[in-house]
Formats: sequence, structure tokens, C-alpha cells
Amino acid sequence: MAHSHDELLSFDVAALGAKLQAREISPVELTEAYLDRIQRTDEKLRAYITVTDDLARKAARKAEHEIVAGKWRGPFHGVPIGLKDLCYTKGIVTTGGSKILSDFKPPHDCTVWTRLARAGAILLGKLNLHEFAYGITSSNPHHGFVHNPYGLDRIPGGSSGGSAAAIVARSAAATIGTDTGGSIRIPAALCGCVGLKPTWSRVSRYGVLPLAYTLDHVGPITRTVRDAALMLNVIAGHDRNDSTSSRERVTDYAQSLDAEISGMKIGIVRELTDNLSADVQQSFTAAAQQLRELGATVDEVSIPSLPLSGIISGIVTWAEATEIHHQWMATRPQDYGDDVRRMLEIGMMIPGSAYVRAQRARTRVLAQATDALNNREVLIAPGAAIPAPKIGESRRFDADGGGVDVLSAILRFTSPFDVTGQPAIAIPTGLSPDGLPLSMQIIGRPFAEATVLQVASAYEKARGEVPAPPPL
Amino acid sequence: MPLVTPETVKRVLKDAYDYEISDEAAVPVANTAGAMISLAHHLDSLELDELEPPFGFPNLMAGAMRIAAKK
Repeated sequence: MAHSHDELLSFDVAALGAKLQAREISPVELTEAYLDRIQRTDEKLRAYITVTDDLARKAARKAEHEIVAGKWRGPFHGVPIGLKDLCYTKGIVTTGGSKILSDFKPPHDCTVWTRLARAGAILLGKLNLHEFAYGITSSNPHHGFVHNPYGLDRIPGGSSGGSAAAIVARSAAATIGTDTGGSIRIPAALCGCVGLKPTWSRVSRYGVLPLAYTLDHVGPITRTVRDAALMLNVIAGHDRNDSTSSRERVTDYAQSLDAEISGMKIGIVRELTDNLSADVQQSFTAAAQQLRELGATVDEVSIPSLPLSGIISGIVTWAEATEIHHQWMATRPQDYGDDVRRMLEIGMMIPGSAYVRAQRARTRVLAQATDALNNREVLIAPGAAIPAPKIGESRRFDADGGGVDVLSAILRFTSPFDVTGQPAIAIPTGLSPDGLPLSMQIIGRPFAEATVLQVASAYEKARGEVPAPPPL
Repeated sequence: MPLVTPETVKRVLKDAYDYEISDEAAVPVANTAGAMISLAHHLDSLELDELEPPFGFPNLMAGAMRIAAKK
């Protein structure tokens, strides 16, 4: 049965997996639909840096042969995806969103892509990002500014801006992002899709260009919570190439998605409830109420050290990123964008003692966050204090003439959970009156991704559909 | 007296990377770095006395073994 491109693009990964296995759709026609979609939308969005169309078609034909022969590999077999262009792909240019690596072809794949390729996923291409993942706008001076599908004059968030924009624009069925201060959850929140930052070490970082070794996380950006669970099933687990990757047991993350959350205890993080824009406040309050209506007990809980985690995140990122970029700063400083070069210059001035102190302080913040989860299954907080800012907007003013710094109105909600390394998911809660996505975070205990996903799934079902972006 | 001056920024960048930035460009770098060093003192309020940095010998050993295995 032939399907229209629009119909093919409407299926999430969970639906595609079933239809591909049943041979109701073909990986070849599905891949063509996505490649056509990229061609029709990407001039406006700039979500992709490289489109691997020939390789995608070849992989689709291979997947089709295998599925027809009864060798179905699982839910990602024949599913077209995109990778943030920090992820090494052997022989395929991996720029890191930079000019410096504009011709770099890695000698090997990153583990995340190795596992997805083994699961039969089809690579559509490499997704645009903030240069070297060092920023949250994805306004990339070398590869084009990424635009938010809900408002082309708005940032998509970052650094995984292309990964989130492609999901919402339906130019990839699922994508991979990375998160050091919020770079999975911020674009998911501002673009209106699901972004899961797993526990630090849950997913291998091997072959992913680092921003800050001890804060970097790799995870899925998807249309639905179920898709995020399915993707985590593929990419989670110990990797001998990443000595920091965890040996903690990997469970089936999709198993509990239909379980009720009645009786669960959920804490609203008190330190993340102030200075919200009116639309964020209203949407977050409604989401908390929705969780109560599902039978959960929702109360407020404090993590007193949480406001200091911005300092910790800043110091650790500045110090580690500057060390990572040391050689290029010595040889090619002029090839960085101004904002990234300035951050690296700041990193040169951070003393080693401040770095060590910040690392020691992480333990205290995690201890308090764990304390907040005593007798509670998860914590919740808004995804950001404001909806997606306009491109170039650095301060936002309210009706009373007060102003907020756009960067901190976003980062202070996400960076604490990079500091603690806890799993955290961003999930849409609806649209603002001017049609921009709003979002909630659900945060769990270390390695309790299944619980985070269970709560997110229950909420997602109760919430219903979020209106799609305007046609591109 | 500021914790980091624009002159210090310029000198460090010249010495470490052999490139020069303008006085104007050095000011925000000095201000931000100085503010961050100052803010780092606030972390003392978290009672860090008994806490060590979370690096750990197992990671050190695993990294060394991985390098050795490649030879």
C-alpha cells in the first residue's frame, strides 16, 4: 500500500517500528520521504550541516532486504534518524559546528552511532548546533543560524538546536543530542519535543567531541516519551571504550510506560519556581495539577544549594572546555566565533583551585537533591523561565519594565541536573498564547530513567496532542 | 582592586596562545572571570571540609588499562 509523504512523516518511531516489521511500509519509501522533507524545509531551518542522502538510500535498501528476509532487528530497523554533528561518524565529515573541523572525517564511529547502526537505524545526516556545543542559541556563524519551527525569528535553543528543530519539523524521526548545561533539554523545551538527558555515564561518550568531560551527557531527542525510551534501550550501557561509562544494569525503559502513577510522590523544586514568565507559570501549574489528577501527590521541596550550581557549572565548563580547546586556541583562535572564543578566553583565567572546589561542591548538591527525593519518586520544574527568545535577544523586558537575562532565564533550570548527573527529561506542556512551546522537566534519582519516563509518559497521555508548528 | 584585570587577560593570552586582543575585548573577559573567581568563594558555604573531588582511582586505572590494551 502506497503512503503519502505526509502520512509517512506523521508516524513516530514506535509506530514506524511496527509498520516496518509488518512490511506495511518500506524503509526505502520512508527514507525518500524524509530526504524530500529535508530538501523542502532545511533552507529555512538550517537544521542540517551535512545530509548523507546517498548513504541513507543505500542503508534503506539494505534494511529493506533484511526485513523482507525476516531479519528484523528491532524498533529502529529502517528508521531514519539524525546525529548532532559532534558525534563521530567514520568517513563522514563531523564539524562540531565549527570552522576548525569543517573537513574533519573521523577514523571511527562514536559508540552511540555504532549501536544505532547495529539496530538498523538509517543516518539522514549530521545536525547543526551551537559551535562546539558551547552555547544555547544554535546561532552558528559557520554553518548558519538554526531556526525554531514554531517561529522562524526565534532561537531553537541549544546547543542541540538542529536535533530538536529536525524533530519538530519532521525532518528526522529521532535524533541524538548532548547536554552539558542543558543542551538536550533546552532545545526540546523551546522547540516543543521530548529531550532525555540520562544519568551521567549511562550512555557512552566515546567518539563524541567533548565540551566538558565531567558534565557531558548523550541522549535522545524525540517526538514522544516512548520514542525516547526506545532510543535509550539501544544506546544505554557500559562501553569498554569509555572507562567512565557505567556498569549499572540496563533495564527495558519502555516496559513501565503504561503503568499508572497513582500514589507516586512528586516534588516541585522550590528554587526553580520564581521569576517565571506568566505563560510558563500558568502552564507549569496546570501540568502539576494534571499529575495530581493522575493520582500523584505533588508538594514543594527545597534543594538549598541549587542556586549555587550555576557557579559550579560555569567554573567546571570553563576550565574543562579551555583545556580541551587548548591546541586550537594556540594555533587557530581566529577561526572560532566571537562568543565561543570569549568563553575560552575566560576559561584561561579560572584558577585550578576554583575548579577543584567546584568539583567538590557537586557532591553536596547531589546529596541535597537525593535528600529531596527521599520518599518522592521524581522532582519537577519548568523547562525554562521563558519561551523561545528571538534570535539576537539577550534581555527580555516585562510589562513593568523589569528585565531578565535570557541566558540565565534558561540555563538556571537545566544546569543543576548536569552538575548532579541525575536523569532529567523535558516534555512539552502546551503552547503560549503567542504559539510558542512551553515545557516541564521531570528529574529522577541516578539511574532511575525508567521512573522518569513512566511519569513523563503518564503526563503525555493525559496532556493530549500539542498543536503542530505552522507549515514551513 | 579587581581580581582579574584586562592587562592580565592580555598578558596571559599572549603568553599562552601568542595572540593579542584589544583593550576593549579584554574588559568583559576580565570582568566575567573576576566575578566567577569571587563567586567561587560562595561555594565554601556548602561545607566542603570532608568532600573530595569526585574523580576516583577506578577511572584512572580503567583509562590506563584502555591505553595499554591499544598497544
